[in-house]
This record gives sequence, structure tokens and C-alpha cells, in this order.
Amino acid sequence: MNLMEKDCIIIGGGPAGLAAAIRLREAGVRDIVVIERERQAGGILRQCIHDGFGLTRFQESLSGPEYAWRFLEKAVDLNIPLLTETTALKVCPDKTVIAVSRRHGWLRLRARAVVLAMGCRERTRGAIGLPGTRPAGVLTAGVAQSYINIHNLMIGRDAVILGSGDIGLIMARRLTLEGARVHAVLEIQPHAGGLPRNIRQCLDDYGIPLLLEHTVVDIRGTGRLESILAAKVDANRNPVPGSEREFRCDTLILSVGLIPENELSLTAGIELDPRTGGAIVDEHYQTSVPGIFSAGNVLHVHDLVDFVSLEAETLAESVAVFLKNGCLESCPIALKAGSGVSYVLPHTISGTREVTLSLRVREPLKPCLITVRQAGGTVLSRRFAKALPAEMIHLPLEAEIVNGRTPLEVTAV
Amino acid sequence: MKTSCVCIICPKGCELEGETDGQEILSLEGASCPRGREYLAQELRDPRRTITSTVLVEGGESPLVSVRLSAPVPKNQIFAVMEAIRRLRVVAPVSLGEVLLPDLLRLGCDLIATHQVFAAEKYGPR
Amino acid sequence: MECFDVLIIGGGVIGNAVARELMRYKLRLGLLEKEPDVGTGASGRNTGMLHAGFSYAPGSLRAKLCVEANAEFDRVARELDVPFRRTGKLVVGFTEEDRARLLHYKAIGEQNGVPGLEMIDRKRMDAIEPAAGGNFAMYSPSSGILNPFLYTIALAENAHANGAEYFLEHEVLDSRHEGRVRRVVTTRGDFLARWVINCAGLHSGRVSAMLGLPGHTIGGFKGEYFVLDKRAGEGVNIPIYPPPRPDGGFPTHATPTIDGNMLVGPNSLWTDDLTDYTVTRASLAELIEDGGKMFSRMKPEYFIRNFAGIRPKRMDPATRRPLDFLIETRDDAPGIVNLVGIESPGLTSALAVARMAVRLLATREPLEKNPLFTPLRKGILRFADQDETTRRRLIEENPDYGEIICRCECVTRAEILAAIRNPLEVATVNGVKNRTRAMMGRCQGGYCQTRITEMIMEECGKAPTEVLLGKPGSTLFTGRVRP
Repeated sequence: MNLMEKDCIIIGGGPAGLAAAIRLREAGVRDIVVIERERQAGGILRQCIHDGFGLTRFQESLSGPEYAWRFLEKAVDLNIPLLTETTALKVCPDKTVIAVSRRHGWLRLRARAVVLAMGCRERTRGAIGLPGTRPAGVLTAGVAQSYINIHNLMIGRDAVILGSGDIGLIMARRLTLEGARVHAVLEIQPHAGGLPRNIRQCLDDYGIPLLLEHTVVDIRGTGRLESILAAKVDANRNPVPGSEREFRCDTLILSVGLIPENELSLTAGIELDPRTGGAIVDEHYQTSVPGIFSAGNVLHVHDLVDFVSLEAETLAESVAVFLKNGCLESCPIALKAGSGVSYVLPHTISGTREVTLSLRVREPLKPCLITVRQAGGTVLSRRFAKALPAEMIHLPLEAEIVNGRTPLEVTAV
Repeated sequence: MKTSCVCIICPKGCELEGETDGQEILSLEGASCPRGREYLAQELRDPRRTITSTVLVEGGESPLVSVRLSAPVPKNQIFAVMEAIRRLRVVAPVSLGEVLLPDLLRLGCDLIATHQVFAAEKYGPR
Repeated sequence: MECFDVLIIGGGVIGNAVARELMRYKLRLGLLEKEPDVGTGASGRNTGMLHAGFSYAPGSLRAKLCVEANAEFDRVARELDVPFRRTGKLVVGFTEEDRARLLHYKAIGEQNGVPGLEMIDRKRMDAIEPAAGGNFAMYSPSSGILNPFLYTIALAENAHANGAEYFLEHEVLDSRHEGRVRRVVTTRGDFLARWVINCAGLHSGRVSAMLGLPGHTIGGFKGEYFVLDKRAGEGVNIPIYPPPRPDGGFPTHATPTIDGNMLVGPNSLWTDDLTDYTVTRASLAELIEDGGKMFSRMKPEYFIRNFAGIRPKRMDPATRRPLDFLIETRDDAPGIVNLVGIESPGLTSALAVARMAVRLLATREPLEKNPLFTPLRKGILRFADQDETTRRRLIEENPDYGEIICRCECVTRAEILAAIRNPLEVATVNGVKNRTRAMMGRCQGGYCQTRITEMIMEECGKAPTEVLLGKPGSTLFTGRVRP
């Protein structure tokens, strides 16, 4: 197979990749290709059959497949080449991409720009070091969701869910509707991981208890899961002796966090931020390797897909400029997460145009004051009625308020 | 009587704090848009939810098609609606937006496909 | 009922090695295993080391058989197509006390016939592995690392290809004399055989009693491990052991696996329950603390899994002192070859143990050579390990190589299909995992598990409720969501 030359290669045909591809085409970039490992594009949205997507973007509540279809339909209309059932194996720093596919064989592609839109994966039982035996019936929420919604396979009848992230809450309702009993959702933190509306409509509506500051201290059973032992944790997240409680169940669902899927980014030599698990990017969403861009859940885990699309579109506009001019405006001003803020993106800005910062607070704050400081002085402060770690905050930052090249620091109280 | 609940209309999840007589809202705080009041009023009078699920597809390239309701149904009808969904079988192809079951249980809402499922031949054997 | 010449009880590395070595002779041989796959007990739950033999008492069977089997392993790995690397091993020391212990091991090793043991200084250590801590070390060039699952599977498949019959999910319940033969009662029917060989590993004491040879005490010596991401294993090419403890054992250490991960462990504790593979919270905390001292990348971001293994230690019932391997035939127990308490270095010694068992049997009954025996076996070709030219050719010849099922470990559809169609007809999810590495990577099957279960159902014609994760009863599904 000869080298295939492109203006832009987009890796991943989920919400980020599709939105980026469409916006690139709209900006006049013709020679692009999307690489997608699944038979159908749409990414994780295909299994997210619940609604609530698109309220920001389309002002209506769509299910995951419907939201994906809005983009997919447009991609088809625009004749965007989608290489489905094709897996990218490697991205090189020179923007060569190696991919394989049953239909196209071994592919070597090179582009002037590469967009990384691989999304994220779930944190597993092993990653959080859960003790106990290893029976069948312990699985992550996303795998459970895929089995139930895509593969028509029922995973159990009596479940406990560890982690109150949105997927865990959604799965609590989904299992209940399919006749399973969900005994409890356990959350190690003193506050829920998912959105308050999901606590209400997925747990409260069905009388499923949410046990905060609880975790799983033992998993029991040899063949199939027989029970789990839950315990209350103290401020250091250590189990409180005597607080153990056994739940007899055949299923333990883990919704314990998402990790940006950056294996390909690493092959390209891209620098990652240990806090987000994603690339270090400037305001153009360009990574530490010029011409390689990253947005969506592979950059940082979002709570709403609407903002994944938006971020990818902003990225696409930068890529279009990059392809036209061969470079982008430099971004010498660093942005730092200060006290109360777990991270802020982008990592650097130009200071010459308005950018929207994405950030998360460390702890729930009610009310919350977000402050941006530079060289000791406050350049921006904004008050919010409340701020939760589960909800990403978007903060527009005008160019005029930035002075010189000293770093900016964002704090929350 | 004091009432507090989280508005589920949008991801913002406003914490509504209101004074009601059990039926009508006397005063309301915490709603950042007018939909908060509408939601609470509905919740007091006749709580409704929309649900999503899947329907069995025969002869399709995937075994299930995802579905939703065209409008919310009374909360106490959710499991009855699920039972109707569970009994339903459709034949591929199914197109996105197709009404699979009109006026579900005479509740005034339709069951709508939220994905397309091609007939199995489209892909053929591997 | 047909009568077998030989029935082997236990499908661990020892049972399969004995089966393979016996197939060199004209025999009808059956192997009974209680689990749905081979190698699920102690054989698959260990560090994956090919031991050199410097820490076993001179004159013991452990020492003799380990050194014998170690010496031939390059050839064995080639014959059976098993991933293996003779990495060598460093046992490091800091103090003069450490030096004395290392010298002690060196002397024992030399007595046992371990080749090439050397005390080396810091300069030599830097040449071998600059990342190793310590001021000096004992270097053991004959130590190595192998894939314990694939070695056990390879022995089984080779035995099977040479005519051995496998009976998985056949748990032995009882056995008795019936004239000149023995009846073996299993959960799935009875078998008759002229010879019964006890290779039951953890359960070898119990099976021995069942065969009329009571009195063995087996103590469970449990070790728990963390498996770390391949990123933690980058650049670590040789196992580095800490200085031995005064009692001669090794504290928790970090060992590279043949596939590039790191294992941190084992801790060591006695257990009465020989089937309790529970990993406890306390042990995990202990491994994090002790492992962290030895290996700087022992951090939560690298954790991908944890597991426990149990070694069957034969013990003196009175003093509870550990005893050597027992491999015997007896006049008062005709038709029985009894192998009890084969534990570490059982993985290394397996073929030498097997040859000894065969010799004992042959002293009581002449064996006729099987002229059709082949020692060669081919494993599943790994797409990930091939160069670009080979990969391209593979996809051209078979498009299934172009479909990546497990992304973390780069395992293709062709490999998963080959694993599902394995000669032993193992159809569990873990069976596919141990044969291909699919689901062993950092996402632990998050992406590929759903595809693999679908492929198992499709290929084996199984209903959802028949798909097993690994153990008997480990059903993954209760049925269809929409029947």
C-alpha cells in the first residue's frame, strides 16, 4: 500500500471527530479522512440510549444515537470519507498514521494535520485495587451498557453500583427498568459524582439509595458474584471498622471514573497533563507536537457531549487556519490551576483574542467565586450560585484583560 | 408547605426551593429559568417522566433498536410502558424517527425509534 | 466401559507435562481436570520465572529437577513455541550481611550445578542493568521468564496432538480398586484405568488419600500480586530480587513478565483454604508499601489488576516443616504414580518431574515407543509481535488479521478465532484471554470483552447463559434483554 497523503486525518468518529470533520469541511478543507474502529461511527453515543443530549446545542433533548445521527447525517451529506472498521495503530511525530482494516489492509497515511479524537475509557476494578475474589458479574458501567443496549445480553438480576458518576446512575435506572433490582449506589466521596438531575431521575424516582462515603471492601463468590461487603469510609477514605454491610448480589457495576484514551498520543510523543490525563494544549487545541490537535474526551473528560462537539469545532477552526498559514499564533501565556481548581484548559493562550476556559472545581462550592489573577492582580472574577466537581465550568476570557506574558492563575472559593 | 427538589429539565439541575400548598406554588426560589416553575407545577400536579429503552428487531444487522417516547408519561405508568416495549417486535429495516407504536397504552404518546437498523443483508457475511 | 492405560488427575503444568512425556509411548491416556481449562491453579498464578535452582537444598528433588529442566528450556520453548527469554537475574545486596547470604546462595547453587553464578560489583551491575539498586549482586545468568499460561497450554496441546484425551470440568470425587484396574469417579461419569497418576497440585494430598495413600499434609502458601501496566515495565529487562531475608525467603519484589508488564509481589502467608484466591485489602496495602520501596513505578496509575496464587507445600505433619517434592510408586499401591506437594519451582521443573514419573512407571511396566510422537507444537501467531512486512502479508492472506479486537494488546480477530477454536475445545472468556492476551491490557476488556463473548457464542453455538468467564458456574449473562 502506498502512502496516502491528506490535509487532515481525524482519529475517531465519535462526537468530537465528527464535529471536527464537519467544521473542517465547512471551513473549506476538502482533503480529510476520519478513521473509525467500529462498523458505525458515533462512538460511545451509540450505546447511550438515554435522553438529555443536545439541550445546549440543539435546544432539545435527544438520545445519544439521535445526537450522533445529527452529525453523521451531515458528514454523509458533505461526503466526508469515513474509514470505518479501521484501527489506528500508531501516530508518528511526523504525522504519519499507521492503521489496519479488513477491507483496506495495512494503511499508511500522512497528513499536514492530525486530530486526535479517540475519546476515553473506563477505570477498571484493577486500577482502583478492589480486593476480593474474581467472580463473573463484576463489570464497568460502560461494558454493562453495551451488553444491555447493543448486544441484547442481560448481565444480572441483583446489582450494586460502585461510583455515582453519570454512567453509573444511568445504568441504575436502566437495570431497574429491565427488571433487575439495584440495591444501592455507593460513592466513596462525600458528594455525588454525577449530575443532580440524574440523582433525582435515576435513583430517587426508583427508590435506589445513594450511600455517600461508602466503598466496597470485599467481593465474594467463586463462579458468579455472590455478595459484596460495603463499608463506610472516614475522611482519609479508609473503611470504618464495624460499619461493614453485606449486599447479596450477582452483579457489581463500577462507575469509578473515565481516563482519556491517549495511547496513540504517546506514540506521537505528545506531552500529557497528569491531572487531566489528556494532552497539554494551547488555545488552538494544538498539542506539544505542532500540527497534532486534540479535543473532546481524549483531552479531558466532559460531562456533556454538547461541549465535546463545541470544543471539536473550535479545534477545527484552528486546524483550518493552520493548514492555510502553515502555523498558528503563538501562545506564550501559561494558565495555571490554583487553589480550589482541579484543572483548567487550555494550558496556554495567546492573549490576543477571546478564549473560553474549561475548568473544574475540586470540591462542591455554594456559592462559588472563580477568580483569574495575573501578576498578583485580579483580572476577572465571576460568581456562581453553585459549582460541583461533576459540572465543567466554561469561563470566557477577553483578550483586553490580559496584560503581558506573565502566567494567569485561576482559583475557586 | 416547604418543597425542595432538583429540576431535571436540563443538566444545570437547579435546586428549587418553594412554598406550596401541595397543589399550587405560592413562592419559588432557585430556578434560573421559567421552565423551573413549570417543572415544579407539573411535578406537584402530575409527575411525568420520559423513558428510553430498546425494542427487539428481527432480521436486522443489530438485534435491538433504541427507542424513546414522544412525550413524558405519568410516573406511575413507567413499568406498564416498559412491559409494552418488552412485548414489541419489529422487522428490519427500521429508520430513525419511525413510530414503532402509536398512542402507547392510550397515553397520548408514541414510541419512536432513535436509531436506524438496516436489514442484515446490507453487510452480508464477513 | 473402555479402559485407559493411564489417567492423569490434574491439568496443571505437571499433569500436562506428564501427559506430554507419556505420549512418547504407545498408551491410551486421559487427563481429568475439574476446571474448564488447564493451568488455572498454581500453574497460572505465579511470577512466571524459570528458576536457576540456587535456593533449594542440595540433594533435594527440587534442586535436581529444577537445574535439569532449566538447562533444556531453550529447546523446549522452541519445540512448543512458548514465549521465553533467558534474562538472567540479579539478587542485589547492600550490606555485608547481605553479601554473606548471597555467598551462601552462590555456594548452594554451585553444589546444585547451577551454571555461571557470579558475585558482581557495581560496575558490572551497571553494564547489566543500571536501574538495579544495591552495591553488589549475585548474577544468575541461567534464570529466565516465561508465560506460564502458554507453557501449560502448549504442553497440553502437544499431548493432545499426540493422542492424549482431555476431560475438562471433570472433578474427581473418588477412586477404588476394581480387580486389576482402578475406577475413577468424576462429576461427569466414571473412568477405568490401569494406571492413575496424581498431579492434583493443591489437592494432591486429598487425591493421594483417595488413591489409598493417606497421611500427606498440604499447607497453602499464599502470595498476592499487583500487575502493572506495560508502561511501568518499559526498560526493565531483568528480574531484580532484593536481598534475601534471614530465613532465606525473598521480600516482595518487582519482576518483568515475558509480555512486558511488571508483577509486584508476592507477599507470603499461610492459608488453610486451598481454594481461597481472595486478595485482601490489607495485603494490597502491604504490597503498595513494600513494593514501593523496591520499585519506583509502583503507583496507582500503573495498576491494572491484582491476583493471588497458592503454593501447595507438603509439610511434616508433626513439625509443619516444609518437605521436598514427593514423586513415587510403591509396591503397596500398584497402578499409582503419586506426585505430592509439587510447588515452586514446579513450573521450571515440570518436564524433569514428568520424566521422573515416567521412569518410575516404566520400571514397573515396559513401555513401547510411539513412533508417531512429535515434540513440536505451534502456538497462535501474535500479530503484535510481527514486523511490518509480515503484518501486511498476514492481512492480505487473511482479512481477519486486519480487524483489531483488543486494542490495548493489539490482538486481531484471527487470533481470537484461533483461540476459540483451540484444540482442547476450551470455550471460556479467560481461555481466550490466556491464549491471546486480549483483555489483559490496561482497559481490562472494556473495549473488547463484548465482542469476544459474541464471538464465543457465535463460534461455539452457545446460548448467552452458557458463556463462562472461567470457573464452573461463572456465567456472564442471565439471558437476553429481549428474548
